[in-house]
Amino acid sequence: MSARSESGSSSATSSVSGEGEWLDIENDEESITIVSLFDSQTFSSWNEMLDSCKKHHDFDFIATIKNLQLDFHGAVKLVNYIRSRVRDQQPVAKNLTLADFEDDGYFKPVLENDALIVSLDEILDSDLVKADTTVSQLDTSQGELLAQKQALEAELESVRTQFSNYRLAVQETLDRRWGDDTEQSPAKAVKGDRGNYYFESYAYNEIHETMLKDTVRTDAYRDFIYNNKHIFKGKVVLDIGCGSGILSMFCAKAGAARVIAVDNSDIIKKATENIFNNGLSDIITCVKGAIEEVKLPVNEVDIIVSEWMGYCLLYEAMLPSVLYARDRYLKPDGLLVPSSGTIWMAPIQDTEYMSEHISYWRDVYGFDMKAMQEGIYDDVRVEAMPKNTLCGEPYPIKVLDLHTIKPEELSFTAGWESKLLRRPDGLDGFLIWFDNFFATSRSEPVPEPTTTPEVFVKAKNGNVAFTTGPSGIVTHWKQGLLLVPPENPPSKLELPETISGQITFAALEENARALRINVTCSSGSKEGKKWSWKLE
Amino acid sequence: MSGDKMEVELAEQKLKTMEHSEQHYFKSYDHHGIHEEMLKDEVRTRSYMNAIVQNKHIFKDKVVLDVGCGTGILSMFAAKSGAKHVIGVDMSTIIFKAREIVKVNGLSDKITLIQGKMEEIELPFPQVDIIISEWMGYFLLYESMLDTVLYARDKYLVKDGLIFPDKATIYFAGIEDGDYKEEKIGFWDNVYGFDYSPLKATALSEPLVDTVDLKAVVTDPVPVLTLDLYTCTVADLAFNTPFTLTAKRDDFIHALVSWFDIDFTACHKPIRFSTGPHTKYTHWKQTVFYIEDVLTVQNGEEVQCKLDVKPNDKNRRDLDIEVDYSFQVNDATRNASGHSAYKMC
Repeated sequence: MSARSESGSSSATSSVSGEGEWLDIENDEESITIVSLFDSQTFSSWNEMLDSCKKHHDFDFIATIKNLQLDFHGAVKLVNYIRSRVRDQQPVAKNLTLADFEDDGYFKPVLENDALIVSLDEILDSDLVKADTTVSQLDTSQGELLAQKQALEAELESVRTQFSNYRLAVQETLDRRWGDDTEQSPAKAVKGDRGNYYFESYAYNEIHETMLKDTVRTDAYRDFIYNNKHIFKGKVVLDIGCGSGILSMFCAKAGAARVIAVDNSDIIKKATENIFNNGLSDIITCVKGAIEEVKLPVNEVDIIVSEWMGYCLLYEAMLPSVLYARDRYLKPDGLLVPSSGTIWMAPIQDTEYMSEHISYWRDVYGFDMKAMQEGIYDDVRVEAMPKNTLCGEPYPIKVLDLHTIKPEELSFTAGWESKLLRRPDGLDGFLIWFDNFFATSRSEPVPEPTTTPEVFVKAKNGNVAFTTGPSGIVTHWKQGLLLVPPENPPSKLELPETISGQITFAALEENARALRINVTCSSGSKEGKKWSWKLE
Repeated sequence: MSGDKMEVELAEQKLKTMEHSEQHYFKSYDHHGIHEEMLKDEVRTRSYMNAIVQNKHIFKDKVVLDVGCGTGILSMFAAKSGAKHVIGVDMSTIIFKAREIVKVNGLSDKITLIQGKMEEIELPFPQVDIIISEWMGYFLLYESMLDTVLYARDKYLVKDGLIFPDKATIYFAGIEDGDYKEEKIGFWDNVYGFDYSPLKATALSEPLVDTVDLKAVVTDPVPVLTLDLYTCTVADLAFNTPFTLTAKRDDFIHALVSWFDIDFTACHKPIRFSTGPHTKYTHWKQTVFYIEDVLTVQNGEEVQCKLDVKPNDKNRRDLDIEVDYSFQVNDATRNASGHSAYKMC
């Protein structure tokens, strides 16, 4: 039995800010990352890494260097020997002999820009090693020593160049990422796209746990990719906003020749580790940065996979990045996964919800707190509502054909109408949700607006689709709830009356990732009403 | 009203010039949801209400300071209990809502609400008789406002003045939590067939705020920190202490759980509430610290622990928490010891 009375209940409460890490990265330009000899763990100093090897893998690197009286070359070979054994999942003996890694092949680095090798001169020069080795070297003839020294210096120089190139690359990456932010004047920081905060909020486990455990979402991608291996086999795939790397790994497992995983959040470090641990590093390349700014190792791709959907589908505005990548990298006959989406709306009435969250403020411990109601009718609320909240038939307000849609079409106005299902004493508002469709080729026609996921899935082998609506399993997107102020006096709507109006989706003026939704509604001869909400 | 509007804009401007982390902290309190959750936490709000309205003799004609007043509920309790004047202070822009609320409840002449940092504002009274504050965070100390309360105490509270509440105690116990640990931690071993262990280490280092069933508690609870709000200092908020957990039955220990109790000892009849697994739900829930080992304990056996808690050097509202545990019995197969480092952020 679980110790929890309500599992998953923590997600809403343990809010994460974690600016510590943010600031850390910004200030610490010099930081290096040393990968452990025995696993994928990384450390910021060699001491820590070697301590960990001693503690967790019972391997004393320093002692080995001392016992075998290794010089720089020997130590380089030792590092590469161990790394290659670990890579090939071979054991590393505790008492190594020089013969184990005498092969000059071990001069070849196993890890690109191995920071441990760069640190070797420092390690060999440290007090831990120095005393003994200098004594041992007294035996060597002076000529040999000189030759050794020259070779060593040459080696060091080449490693230093390598390392400074690496540092430069890191620096450039950082500049690109942080440049905007650091140069921003306070006045400029007030408005606009909160890009950094957005990406930062994805750097933590919890959101990824929530998304991975959203089985409606993750199963849909898995089923589409695994059930259509022939589509992925031998293809070059781009995964935009790869997060923890799951979709990239699905594609790699399905036979993709190459997968490029791009994300602008720090989570990509974990994705890199995950991909390494699952032996897929040779297929998947992780690239950190915004898709509009990074340089990809390929000029075009066969397939773009992305989980870009936000609340009410378009919140967070990641879709423009996907469309950018589509136009820039996708081959003319290339496939987008998913391939289309439909946004739905329906009128609602839910007395219980309204009294619990709205009327509540009328009397809080004897005090009138109605002031807290402000904003209730201005903000989109993200809630999972039961199906019986709907008091009218849902209407598909927009179909997004991802292969052809233009970024400017993501702001739109559409008509809607709904036949009332019951006689509500006044409307409490509207509910917004979306369906996603995964078609097996771009030549297939986009599903009709009213096509449900069930119908689409049955229509063709390999098709996958899911809904985030109130008739399906709850997803982490829940639904968008737009509440309207009560009418005074409440209007009686007669069955089978149909209500109708227009709905507008637009980016919010002051925050491009936020959303503005406007709705107008009229029924019969009554004068139309209009409302506006924002989701930020 | 328009004056208020300008003030709101000014306050928002000021928030925007703050450090990002601070801004996030204050801004996260602007949303209604958090206030709804706190007000609907009956254990919390009712305890404060009882502590104040059942002690009208204490509040009558007193000057009261409400530190971090939020929607102003505690200030209004104090005003209703006969306080001469109440000053509510909050950094968050929620205070402008509080002003409207105080006004519609006809208490504007009794309550002054000031938006700003306690350290930067000027109070209309040089001294106050009573400080009321709901400053507690998860695990008592995470994102807590206690340092602000102590600052207000040292600067404004009269000698022999009262603090509501005035005592806080953190408890620890061991819990059997195999299924949930598997779901939260083991999950990362196999994610849709992939090894996700890099995220497992992170999951282990994040204390989990969640409700724990009383049946899961395997050991006696042990108090690890008691804060007397009249005497404690900011330095006391970083602490380390050894403690011993004694098993109450044969079972496994997968994690440690922590909660806190709050006392209002200044009341005529002392009022106390607990956020532990043995009592009613609060929005603080409990805090669970998973350990790497599974301890197989028998009734009466002891686990020696050491706890080290301190604010993070870079962001003082984050907490660094370390736990050492050592379980040594006459059965080498069951012996275990380890060290876990957690970060609440």
